[in-house]
Amino acid sequence: MGEWYGYTGRVLRINLTDRSTRTQELDRSAAQMFLGGRGLNSRSLYEEVRAGANPLGPENKVFIATGPLVGTMFPTASRFNISAKSPQTGILGDSNAGGHFAPEMKFAGYDQIIIEGRSREPVYIHISDGEVELRDAGYITGRDVYERDRLIKSDIGDRGVQTLIAGPAAENGVGFAGVFANLMRAASRTGMGTVLASKGVRALAVRGTGSIEVADPGRFEELVLEIEEEIRGHEQYWPRRRMGTTRILMMADRAGFLPTRHYTSGTFERAEEVSGERLAEEFNVKGRGCFACTIPCSRFYVVREGPFAGLYGEGPEYEALGSFTSRVGNGDLCLALKANDMCNRLGLDILTTGECISWAMELHERGMLSREEADGIDLSWGNGDAILALIDKIAHREGFGDLLADGSRAAAEKLGRGLELTMQVKGLDIIMADPQGLKGFGLGYAVASRGGDHLRSEPFMELSDDPELGLRMFGVPEATLRLADSGKGRLVSYFEDWNAVIDALEPCKNIMQNMEILTFERASEVIEAATGLRMTPTEVRVVGERIINVERAFNAREGITRKDDRLPRRFLEEPLEHGASRGTSTTPRGDGTRKRGTRRPRR
Amino acid sequence: MRRLVVEGEKCAGCRQCEMVCSFHRAGVFSPLLSRITVIKDDERGFDYPVSCRQCEECPPAEACPTGALSRDETGIVHVDVEGCAGCGACVDSCPFGAVKLDKETRPIICDLCGGDPACVSRCPTHAITFVESGFFDEKPSDALQRLMGRWGIDG
Repeated sequence: MGEWYGYTGRVLRINLTDRSTRTQELDRSAAQMFLGGRGLNSRSLYEEVRAGANPLGPENKVFIATGPLVGTMFPTASRFNISAKSPQTGILGDSNAGGHFAPEMKFAGYDQIIIEGRSREPVYIHISDGEVELRDAGYITGRDVYERDRLIKSDIGDRGVQTLIAGPAAENGVGFAGVFANLMRAASRTGMGTVLASKGVRALAVRGTGSIEVADPGRFEELVLEIEEEIRGHEQYWPRRRMGTTRILMMADRAGFLPTRHYTSGTFERAEEVSGERLAEEFNVKGRGCFACTIPCSRFYVVREGPFAGLYGEGPEYEALGSFTSRVGNGDLCLALKANDMCNRLGLDILTTGECISWAMELHERGMLSREEADGIDLSWGNGDAILALIDKIAHREGFGDLLADGSRAAAEKLGRGLELTMQVKGLDIIMADPQGLKGFGLGYAVASRGGDHLRSEPFMELSDDPELGLRMFGVPEATLRLADSGKGRLVSYFEDWNAVIDALEPCKNIMQNMEILTFERASEVIEAATGLRMTPTEVRVVGERIINVERAFNAREGITRKDDRLPRRFLEEPLEHGASRGTSTTPRGDGTRKRGTRRPRR
Repeated sequence: MRRLVVEGEKCAGCRQCEMVCSFHRAGVFSPLLSRITVIKDDERGFDYPVSCRQCEECPPAEACPTGALSRDETGIVHVDVEGCAGCGACVDSCPFGAVKLDKETRPIICDLCGGDPACVSRCPTHAITFVESGFFDEKPSDALQRLMGRWGIDG
């Protein structure tokens, strides 16, 4: 095996069917063309999982990859991507999380872990540097994520081992169960935990004692120091440190795109009560961070009074906070903390869980769902008992929860009504931002390669409402006006490529992209200092485009066409009536939804 | 004398100190080769960097059967790698858990970088400071108890 910098240069392949493992050298051309993380996984998925594969069959594979900056002091480089064909959407699935699992994987010696086949007995995978062992996990079946973590650490006799855990919802076959690092760092979109559990795997536990070297330590340190200083001096530094992503809730409310009562409104009258500001003031006790982070933006909270006294934990992030407050019409902050905590312990995706509950509540309000059909639960907006009861029922696929347990699209299909009201694209439930107030985000949801999702593009520049920026960056002043339609194709294309590069290198998008730190120019310098790979800023962007293309190709092979790149009808036909985004629905065609195929060809 | 003093309420557990330390002292990134180690408890939100405290009495130096650990007048422990037998008695005897062994089973102990510890300026929350101080005797377990009490967390 030759010299590798930044990378470990090794891929671990585990076959559960015959219980064999082997270590392969990372393909150098793959590193050059896809960098790592999501890029490497998407390429592997395209090459190794054939069209029509059963997502829960032994022919599906789970790919876990991290990037060449992870396991160094590069700010925020802490993340991994987990990919497989999704049981929730039937197309490309992937999810991404931070914490301390990914660097441990690097120190154990692996850039990517590939899990194939299926184990007859429940196991967890213990990786200690070069030693890989499938250990019995029968005794943790049914336990929650926290209990599993404790039991595994005590079984191995090492509290410093880093775990990646699929919870009970995953083994119950819920379509949108995730994997959790450090108990609460969720990679929970598109059901990657469900796929892992279908293979008989309950968790991974990794310990590494190795080292990562970089190609040019002096230059690498210079770049790191420069970036750390830029982050600390950034105007978003303190708001992020104080509130993390929960700072978005009030911003979204003021701008009128805070999804409220299942997107029937863009403002929530109780937003302040459930805001990141209130959480910070009344409940947070300490900041916590992912590995090597300059802004520890996660927060540890403690509830001391009321019905949820004694509840404590990390988070929640904005998507969880919003999913269990405005989206379902709930103004009780502590109840939302409890709902988030339950999802973490049970191993559920908070966004799809929130959408399923919210959708059911709208059906109830419209008289389309009887109380009997919902197991006698009163689905009035904001009913806290109903929210908590449904989370539990979904995780255990019990009664009405079983109907909801594959996501809103599948639920509507099974129920035989309400499909037009599901807020999803390609089966993936969309996030906590109403695209009527963010047209570029809307286009992003429509074309994203894992279904309705913002993290593929997240074109935050349109929030600037600065036409000069749009003209300079994209040649169209409207590109950076959030309520305008023009220029959004160029805007989204640029951000899709950028995010793919960040997902391949695996630092944190909140900082590297939202705060405009890791531009293509700088990424080119960082990649060279860390890995020795030379590529121009344009070539870096092409890596991003290549990643998206291989993902879209995977989906095309599964039968997805441009016709599937569409938003839920409500966003096209029912303008918001109140707030700062009122009266401006998303246009279904024209430049505002220009598809990828119309872009200039590149290699 | 100036000592490394840790504030558990500030540490966010990012472990950048470990990366900076191993990079400065070994030229690579490796928690194993870091002279400072963050103890973590994710469930209770606890993070606490641990490194040599330059105790007045040094049990590891006393426990070392070959006399490979020596201490200078400021209490900094120096390791004679040639003389070390790699037995690990130092690890077991340190009351703060501040000694680790590398892959050759040689002890790794903080020596304050010769008076300008690299980790301090890079701690994003200023949880580690290098200040004039008396002996800093808080053990991680004491800090955990103290913080759980302050935050109102049982158990």
